[in-house]
Parts: sequence; C-alpha cells; structure tokens
Amino acid sequence: MEPSELERFEAIVLPHLDAAYTLARYLTRDDHDAQDIVQDAYLRALKYFGGFRGGGADGSDGRAWLLAIVRNTAYTWRRRHRADALATEFDEEQHSDAVAEHHPAAALERDGARQSLHQALDRLGPEFREVIVLRELEGLSYKEIGDVTGVPIGTVMSRLSRARRRLQAALCPNAKGA
Amino acid sequence: MTHRELELQLDAYVDGELEPEDARDLETHLQECADCARLHQARVTLSAAIRHEVPALRAPDVLRGRVRATLRDAAGTSGVRRVLSPGAARWLALAASLAVVALGSWRLGLSRAGDEALAGQVLASHVRSLMPGHLTDVVSSDQHTVKPWFNGKLDFSPPVYDFAGRGFPLIGGRLDYAGGRPVAALVYGRRQHLINVLLWPATQGSVGGSLTVATRQGYHLLRWTTPEYAYWVVSDLGMAELHDFAQLVQRADSAATIPAAARALP
Repeated sequence: MEPSELERFEAIVLPHLDAAYTLARYLTRDDHDAQDIVQDAYLRALKYFGGFRGGGADGSDGRAWLLAIVRNTAYTWRRRHRADALATEFDEEQHSDAVAEHHPAAALERDGARQSLHQALDRLGPEFREVIVLRELEGLSYKEIGDVTGVPIGTVMSRLSRARRRLQAALCPNAKGA
Repeated sequence: MTHRELELQLDAYVDGELEPEDARDLETHLQECADCARLHQARVTLSAAIRHEVPALRAPDVLRGRVRATLRDAAGTSGVRRVLSPGAARWLALAASLAVVALGSWRLGLSRAGDEALAGQVLASHVRSLMPGHLTDVVSSDQHTVKPWFNGKLDFSPPVYDFAGRGFPLIGGRLDYAGGRPVAALVYGRRQHLINVLLWPATQGSVGGSLTVATRQGYHLLRWTTPEYAYWVVSDLGMAELHDFAQLVQRADSAATIPAAARALP
C-alpha cells in the first residue's frame, strides 16, 4: 500500500476508534475481546478500503462504514468462540443477573437507576443492544443504523422501539408504559 | 392506528426521524391522548437517562497504539500480508508504535531536516505521555500552580494559560526533552482528547515564524515561533479545533508580551 493511501485511511478511519471501541465493548461486554475485535476490524477495513468510496464532508460515512465492519467482526468472533463461556453471554436467554452484576460500571455504581439500566442493557440481545448504542451513544440516523446492521429501516425502528420498551420497564418497574 | 404503531411513531418522533407531516399529526394526538403523552415523556426521560448513565467510551491508549502499529505492519508488508495474532500484537504494538514514530517522521511536510527530526521527537513525546502515568508531573487546572512548578526545573518560566472557559481546560504540566534540551510540556484537554504543548525559548535573533502544520499517524502537529518561544502543539484532536486552540495560545501570548514584542521592533 502506498504511504499516501495509508495516510488517507488513517485520516478517514482512525478518528472513529472511540466509536468502534464503544460498539465492540457494549457488544462483547469484555474489554479484551473488544480490543481484539477493534484491531481485527481495522485490519479488515484497511483491506477493503479500496472499495470504500465514501466522501461525506463530516466523515460520517467513514464512521458507519467502519462500524459495520466492527459489528461483523464481533459477530464472526462470537460464532468462532461459540463454545466459550464468553459467547454464551451473547445469548439473551442464558444471560443471568449474576453476569450483569459483574458489569464493572454496574458493580461499582450504587445508584439504582444506573445499575438497573446497565443490567437491562446487558440482558438485551445484541441486535437490540447495538441499536441503542448506535442511536443513543453514537447518534447515528436510522439510515446509518440500517447500513451498519444490514437491516431495513423498518426493522431498525421496531428493534429500537422494543429495546426502549424493555429499558424503560427496567428503569421504572412500576410505571406501565401507556 | 394500533398502539404498537403509535409507539413506533413516537420513537421515530423522539429521534427526529418522522416525516414533518406525520410529526404534526402525532403532536396533535399527543395533546389529546394522555397515555401517549405520558409515554412520550417517559421516552424522553429514558433517552436522557441512557445518555447520562451509559457512557460512550474512549478507546484505551494501548489499543490506539496497537491499531496504529498493526496498520503500519499490514500496509508495509502488503505483498506478503502478515497479520499478527491479536495476543502477540498486544505486546508488540507499543514498541512498534514507538519505532514507527522514530522512523516515520521523514514524511512530515516540514521544510528543514532539523524540523523533521524535532517533529518526530514531539510526536514521540506525545505518544509517550499517553501511556499510563506519563502525562503530567504536576496535575492542576490552575495556571498559578502549574507555572511556578517549573521554577528551578527549567532555565525559563513558560507562559501557562487556562482556556477552560473556551473549552480547553488546563490539565497539568511536565518536564520533557526535545531538540537536545529540557522543555516545558503543558497538557490541555478537549472533551476526551489531550493536547500536548511543548515549548522552549526561541533561539537568539528569532523573528517569529508563522504556523506550520503537519499530520502524522492520525496526530496533528502545529508549530510556530514567537520572538520568545518555539511552540509545538500535538494532538489527535481535529485540525480545525486544534487551530482554534493554537490561536487562543497566540492571542494570549501576544496580549502578555506586548512590551517584549515592541522591544523587538527597530
């Protein structure tokens, strides 16, 4: 690869390292796995960079493009390590409160609202957790979320809505959402 | 419209993704339906709670170094692409990133060989400062604490400003070494980003130079000289914001050193 091409890649893709790590970290709930996934994703991104023809002046294209690769890498990672204990954490049904309590932020934080929110987020399936992260933490549009997750906008909407209903139930267990 | 459909619309509305016409219809409905109004309020609250309680994360500095190093490695050996196992890379990355800093500065768009070597040193200083425990020797957001700290450690007293009011809070300072001499390093923050300012007295007879800009490994470097000081600024912050920061420093400097500047005029 030409040095100038690497510089272009770094200029477009490296600024989104925090977003990449945030997504990987919330998907895997493990710092080491998240780091390995992000590193792997950047290598893949470099490989496919020739095919990337984004040009959004604000760089948002580069972000959605990278996050799609991070997400795919995380899911491949999960399949590859399916036999591992870490992979089972991905499965909503098998995910118990005990695991949620090991979430560092939840364990350290006495605040009830924060703890229930983190627990509820942990208990969401990855396809719901990722839309919350992409929308609420990264501020992606529905279209961008659809690009990242590879589903139609209608599916983005319904997943986001379902995820929020569950989080809301966890936040205010007594309030019945209309 | 079913309740489920309304809920979907409401979420899209909260996200600003509803068509204007549908948004107006929904707003009308919200005024009439107490249940939906309550749900709307709950969703707004939830959104705020998530943003407040579930943080977007900053990639660990060690990962930053690893990614850069692996990219260099992969790009440099594209003929026989060798991909390190993440475990091995984790150990090698930091060392490699420093080697890259040392070897890579030749591509800086700076004029003189001396400047290029200096840019490499400044960048290395920045990368080193990001490693745990290396950022600051004196931690304070108070310029009147940081400035005197350098007394007796340097043969000059560096100008220290706090731009917290402009979104660039002072974080602290440390002693560093660049260009064959001990220099002052001041650390400023911008959201999650860190800015290192390295400065030392300008060489005798320096008339001050305009801003020079370079980008290396995703870091931006800015350099300028005043009649009194040689300045280097380095950060992963975007170039536009880093420019704003440099201008703040320059303005604060010229405000503080008008007498000296006047003396320099014939």
